[in-house]
Amino acid sequence: MNILGLDDDELISCVGCGLCLPHCPTYRVTGLEIASPRGRIAAMRAVETGVAPIDAPFVDAMQECVQCRGCEAACPSGVPFGHLMEDTRAALELNAASRPTALAARVRRGLEWIGYRVVLPNHRVLIALSWLLLVAQRLHLVPKRFGPQRFGPPLLTRSSLMTKLDVSSGALGDAWLFTGCVMDAWQRPTHLAALQVLQATGLRVAVPGRGGDCCGALHEHAGRRAEAQHLARKVMQSMPGDAPIVVDSAGCGAALKQYGRLLGTEAATDFSRRVFDFSEFVVQRGVPATRATGRTVVVQDPCHLRHVQKSHMAVRSLLSDGYELVDTDDDGLCCGAGGAYSVLQPDLSREIAMRKSAALRAAGADRPGVLVCSANPGCAMQLTQAGFSVQHPAELLRDALKEGPR
Amino acid sequence: MCFPRSASDAAAAVRAARVHGVPYVARGSGTGLAGGATPLDDALVIVTTQMNRVLEVDIDERIAIVEPGVLNLDLSRHTRPQGLHYAPDPSSQQACSIGGNVGTNAGGPHCLSSGVTSAHVLMVEAVLPTGDIAELGSLAPDTPGYDLRGAFVGSEGTMGICTKVAVRLMPNPPLVRTMLLDFMSVEAAGATVSAMIAAGVVPAALEMMDAEITRAVEDFVGAGYPRDAAAVLLCEIDGLIEGVDYQVSEVRRIAQSHGARSVRIAQTEAERQLLWKGRKSAFGAIARIAPDYYLHDAVVPRTKLVQVLESVYAIARAEQLTMMNVFHAGDGNLHPLIVFDSREPGIWERVHEAGSRILHTCIDAGGVLSGEHGVGMEKRDLMPLQFSSDDLAAQGRLVDAFDPDGLANPRKVLPHGWRCGEVQQRGGTIPDDTWI
Repeated sequence: MNILGLDDDELISCVGCGLCLPHCPTYRVTGLEIASPRGRIAAMRAVETGVAPIDAPFVDAMQECVQCRGCEAACPSGVPFGHLMEDTRAALELNAASRPTALAARVRRGLEWIGYRVVLPNHRVLIALSWLLLVAQRLHLVPKRFGPQRFGPPLLTRSSLMTKLDVSSGALGDAWLFTGCVMDAWQRPTHLAALQVLQATGLRVAVPGRGGDCCGALHEHAGRRAEAQHLARKVMQSMPGDAPIVVDSAGCGAALKQYGRLLGTEAATDFSRRVFDFSEFVVQRGVPATRATGRTVVVQDPCHLRHVQKSHMAVRSLLSDGYELVDTDDDGLCCGAGGAYSVLQPDLSREIAMRKSAALRAAGADRPGVLVCSANPGCAMQLTQAGFSVQHPAELLRDALKEGPR
Repeated sequence: MCFPRSASDAAAAVRAARVHGVPYVARGSGTGLAGGATPLDDALVIVTTQMNRVLEVDIDERIAIVEPGVLNLDLSRHTRPQGLHYAPDPSSQQACSIGGNVGTNAGGPHCLSSGVTSAHVLMVEAVLPTGDIAELGSLAPDTPGYDLRGAFVGSEGTMGICTKVAVRLMPNPPLVRTMLLDFMSVEAAGATVSAMIAAGVVPAALEMMDAEITRAVEDFVGAGYPRDAAAVLLCEIDGLIEGVDYQVSEVRRIAQSHGARSVRIAQTEAERQLLWKGRKSAFGAIARIAPDYYLHDAVVPRTKLVQVLESVYAIARAEQLTMMNVFHAGDGNLHPLIVFDSREPGIWERVHEAGSRILHTCIDAGGVLSGEHGVGMEKRDLMPLQFSSDDLAAQGRLVDAFDPDGLANPRKVLPHGWRCGEVQQRGGTIPDDTWI
């Protein structure tokens, strides 16, 4: 029996000790074994060996996972839970039995198809839709249920959408700044800050040429592997040469760093070696001189920066001269944003966000003048909507530069 | 399964089970190692994970009142700003629940100096098997009358389900020194432990790991554990500055006189935490070596540590099994760990045979059956190794007094035949499914 096609050695490497439980956001808010990594692995084993069928509870249990991979970092045996979950979702995506039959669920599946196939990979469509959304927000046409206060898309601004990155696209520079899909539409000022910091270190920066519109992370997390692979190839083509690739979105950076596994080619592995998180890259290059701002910043570690890229400490080196840094006391527990998770599993996402908010408040993040820093666009949106003043490390560093941006 | 959110929810579940004659089992985080929370006979599982609030912290009295689903480490984190902590620290402390700790009377590295769970539980609110909610013990330091709280702690769910616990909090010590001692032989490390205890040094914790497990945890934490050591001791001294300095120098002297290759003292809190993370992740790191493990838990007199360890390794060699040892050396609480791949044919028989021989060896050396994991299903049928018929009958009568229907976590702790209503089978075992 090999129904899900999982790697047998990966699957048996869980000894069931349970040390992952407190690091799992869905277990923390539900207390259910099936919402824990250990329970999910047990369920995968049961399906894989034919003991249990692929049924709705199994599909739900797999889809409720945020894929934060906090369990992986906590696992003494190094169980590659991320692989297991991605492979399981890819198998479910191909399995007709796991498809919903009810009308509402099929409509939802159709909408997801449009999102994954039409909007995310086509940047012009995404930008056009963002302008439409901005207009709708201004005209108060967006129902409260989907408004910025209720974990919907953020409140868009004209100046944000109009921000220009004045660098060559597709031409060779000393480094690439990967811009991506949603972040480039909704948070372009962050890209601008990253660009200014990189330029302050004396680099000529280029952004990807046409085709490198989306890294495919959301597709891979959803089990849409063929689409993820297609997007990965396009991203690789959009940034040729040997120049390092700087990514200011922790989720995208983690995805780019894993192209080697996704595509299984030497070219992809070589490409992944060129990828750096923004903070990681700037720290390696030498942080430009900063002045002490006297401001306090509570550091939020995006899961894919901390648990997947394992480069979260760089943010602290980056900002420690300019800011008073405070850590949360929750071992980097997830905020529940999880890429598309906040849209696909809104109830669980909100409960997880409430837990994260409590940890941030305990660290003083709700005090006047205190900022939260987050290196991932999804987390930033989630925490902004929870009421915190959130900035990207690139923005914080840019604002503390002694020389100021050119 | 059911997920009560309050004592009255749990009482309703117990009463319903009683009406229908259905057995029931309480479960916390499911980190137990003796099968105590494994449901038998289609039992109703009453899960306490949603009863997870810290209800009250009294800083002056140093008492916390918590629900059973609160995780052990979460409680210490909660009281950290007040300079207090909950002392019993099982290796699974980040994941295990206080309710489960009460059920098994859990131990942990620091129980060497501060005592096991029972010493830290003042009062337990429990749903008794009758469905009534009772408070056992009190917040007073010395409750008059019979110590029913003492009977309940460690009863592994056979006397009811704990729904609220009042625990003692301890002040964080002014100074902590964590030392890593590195030895070329297990014997030298064992002899060092005996010598330290004999010299009157009482560390806060004294842990030993042998070569293979040390390498496995080092692969995970990268704390700088020596990969080529035959055994390491992790020794923590805490207290007032003057006393700590003296004890540290004593430990160093004793270790070096027994051939310690190096003595390292953690220089920062982060370094100290990383060393402990290695020790506390040991069991979970096993899959780096093989996918399955069988962990034992027995206590031997500390003077016999070296001798028993030699026997344990000899048994492993005889059964051709990979055996590791990671344990609370200061208490003589051994944790021989057999690692294997259950896909190998015939392996289970050898694992069980080795396990049984190890336990016999420990008891013959004057030890006891279980140090801290509890009896559960795993040690149930081995209880007669340690207890006489009279002992078992007395224990059976005690449980019967709490649980006359025999529905609270049945077939755990005591072997068959010692509870009211069970067929007495002292002459020998009656096979399952025998019609009587």
